[in-house]
Amino acid sequence: MMIRTDTRTMTIAILILTLCLPVTAWAGWLWGEDEPDPMVQVVEPFVVWRTGPAVGYPVFHSSEKGEWLTLLQRKTGWMKVRDGKSREGWVAVAAIAQTRDATGEFVDLNVPNLEAFRERNVEAGIMMGEFEGAPVTSGYGGYWFTPNLAAELWGSQVLGSASEILMVNANIVHQPFPHWRVSPFFTLGVGHIWVDPKTTLAQPEERENSIGHAGLGLRVYITDRYFIRAEFKDYKVFTSRSTNEEATEWKIGLSIFF
Amino acid sequence: MENRTKYLFLTGFCLAQVMAFAPQVFAAEKAERDDRPLIEPDVTPVPVDEALIDTENFEIGAFVGIMNIEDFESSLVYGGKLTYHLSESFFFEAGIGFAEGGQTSFENLAGNVQVLTDSERDYRYYNINLGYNVLPGQAFLTENYAFNTNFYLIAGAGSTDFAGDTRFTLNAGAGYQILLTDSLAIHLGVRQHFYRIDVVGAEKTSMNTEISSGLSVFF
Repeated sequence: MMIRTDTRTMTIAILILTLCLPVTAWAGWLWGEDEPDPMVQVVEPFVVWRTGPAVGYPVFHSSEKGEWLTLLQRKTGWMKVRDGKSREGWVAVAAIAQTRDATGEFVDLNVPNLEAFRERNVEAGIMMGEFEGAPVTSGYGGYWFTPNLAAELWGSQVLGSASEILMVNANIVHQPFPHWRVSPFFTLGVGHIWVDPKTTLAQPEERENSIGHAGLGLRVYITDRYFIRAEFKDYKVFTSRSTNEEATEWKIGLSIFF
Repeated sequence: MENRTKYLFLTGFCLAQVMAFAPQVFAAEKAERDDRPLIEPDVTPVPVDEALIDTENFEIGAFVGIMNIEDFESSLVYGGKLTYHLSESFFFEAGIGFAEGGQTSFENLAGNVQVLTDSERDYRYYNINLGYNVLPGQAFLTENYAFNTNFYLIAGAGSTDFAGDTRFTLNAGAGYQILLTDSLAIHLGVRQHFYRIDVVGAEKTSMNTEISSGLSVFF
């Protein structure tokens, strides 16, 4: 039953998302695009143009020093540009960062690197692993108050052979060495767990409990705006019986930061 | 002698004159030389504001296809996908899909038997995947059009809600993306879904093949 409401809310969320989507597409048309497209001037001897936003696409043109390029849109590490003769193509963002704008300054482009990783405010990611021997899939989002301290919100689904478990957790994270590329961290938090045994079992009985957990992990910055995160957590499930249950979990995943 | 004196005086006088006037003359020249263009542009140069550049790393789309559900015939499958492009090569994809299981051959042969109720035949899945663009390329339609394309490999995990339970599901596959414009793409894909199921006899790994085509928009 719970699962069904879950999928329903998910469907509604996606519907709303798709409804909102065209609005952003209309916005420019609705309010008129008063802002002229930003322009930059090439100061390096030349920049190469590719037919698509990846190094795999062929180089078909290049702009010389002094040419002005209009910036149209960005996809990952590539910028779509237009020159004075209305040609269009893709130039690496790293090359655009070497150009100057109308003020004569280098273009102030955000090129994510290790420095940006150290100064991140928001991060989000998806992780997979094992919760008491059963596969777990989790998604999380976190906000950094200081370079050392963050708050995170987690949603997890554990699909074991005997039951389905849903978990929602909130925790604080402390990283003692925010400047390290490989940065260890500690977490402490609370949450709620819903256990739904499989229908094929003799006596399926749904139950829910509060949980507390502590963990430690590692972040490894890779490149661009993503990093690998791995962690181990120890859960305490507070039951109404005389003894509390314990569970261990490990996960590894990929995260992005902003 | 007189000439000489006259010469000295005169040159001295001239030099003094020149010395005295020179700065004024140069200054006047400076004031006359106007660096400003004849028509003063009415705009002040504006620095490039990154926030105004349209960044299109997200992609949302819908797909429809055929899914072969092991033991339960084939079914129409449809769903949605949300993709975030991490880089030119890697992307995250979250997907949901809906299908419906048919009759097992046991049910067909035995006649009046139902292995699953109607609602248990509803097949729903979600998954979270990591994709990799292996072969970026171009496709040419007649001599007038060239479309950017990507052949990608993708794999991930999620869950399938079928036959009364939610099952951990792995999936892997490949897809071909044709970008009609920079913001609109067609996808053709093949995906294999794996999960453990014990509805028809002993527990086994169910393998379900999905072939789909879809349309997506970048934003």
